[in-house]
Amino acid sequence: MTDEELFYAWLDGELQGEEAAQVVARVEADPALKAKADRHRTLAAGLRGAFDPVMNEAGPPPSFGSAEIINFETKRAVRRGAFGVPQWAAMAATLAIGIVAGQFVGDRPAAPVESHDGILVAAAGLDQALDAQLASADTGGPIHVGLTFRNHDGSICRSFSGGAGSGLACREGDEWNIEGLFGSTTQGNYRMAAGEDPRLSALIDERIAGEAFDAEAEKAALDRGWR
Amino acid sequence: MSPSSFDSELAAVWPRLRRFAYALARDAADADDLAQMAAEKAFKSFAQFQAGTRFDSWIFRICRTVWIDTVRSRSRRGAHESPPEAADGMGHDPTSATEAAIDLGKAMAAMQRLPEEQREVVALILIDGFGYREVADILDQPIGTVSSRLARGRNALLAMLGEGG
Repeated sequence: MTDEELFYAWLDGELQGEEAAQVVARVEADPALKAKADRHRTLAAGLRGAFDPVMNEAGPPPSFGSAEIINFETKRAVRRGAFGVPQWAAMAATLAIGIVAGQFVGDRPAAPVESHDGILVAAAGLDQALDAQLASADTGGPIHVGLTFRNHDGSICRSFSGGAGSGLACREGDEWNIEGLFGSTTQGNYRMAAGEDPRLSALIDERIAGEAFDAEAEKAALDRGWR
Repeated sequence: MSPSSFDSELAAVWPRLRRFAYALARDAADADDLAQMAAEKAFKSFAQFQAGTRFDSWIFRICRTVWIDTVRSRSRRGAHESPPEAADGMGHDPTSATEAAIDLGKAMAAMQRLPEEQREVVALILIDGFGYREVADILDQPIGTVSSRLARGRNALLAMLGEGG
């Protein structure tokens, strides 16, 4: 290190013992160096102070935890078990979704998500959008369809978003099973980097096998009834 | 570690991560994107985090990589289209800033004028308070390189924000 770098290292608390003592002796003996130490201490304090609001106004961090992600895989496994249909599981799932995405699920005739024998499926406008809407030809309706891809079971899955949040649905028979629903993350003042809920991104990453469909493959899949 | 412990690790470091992003990025929008993208990338790579090592160093390194890969190139493109407002107000006030408080806009503008390799060292050591050794590890650089970049960076900052002598 040069003398100046040693001086700064001392200022930053990086030096110990003999090295530190040598710099202290230099500073004590040189008023100009002492003034320089003061200027740099003030500069560092001022710089940290300038960035303090960024820390203080950080808001809550983005959440990736499992608390708001309903694990439908587990629920189905339980349902297929030896003890018949565990209504509590369906109820718990419905309740959880009610909390995270209240506007999605409901008893209204047009609620976009319904529970069929404990499995949550797309209904009404959401069902129609997943059936008929091409991401490549988004008409600006209330539901926006994002990615279409095949999961590791070979089923076609489609991500969607609407005012209340976003989610992922995969085709099973004639229905779109809801694989995940995420309430709008509007708390905090950060913006979504990619316009997509990170929890949804993580779920897609986990489920996707290969690449997402391009416009042509998406249209072909629609023509085949999403088989 | 389970996802919930990722969340708690992230919660503990989030304000600092956000500050680091603001120290690197050109403006608040880029900085918020950067912090968000870093958190997301860390979440996806959390399996690679080694328990017992420092989570803050790990996620700051990810943040820096994301900055280099994406936000920085975006800022460059933006800079060609319209000159950053950041330069406004710079250098008009030769008297103050070591005495008076430095405001965030002025601090970010000054950081933008530093070469990138000095900016990241200043952000990590002067603003965040990392030790030289940790920063050498985060940046994958010898400690001597870190200390010489820091010396040049803080001299330049003093010339911009300080009383100019």
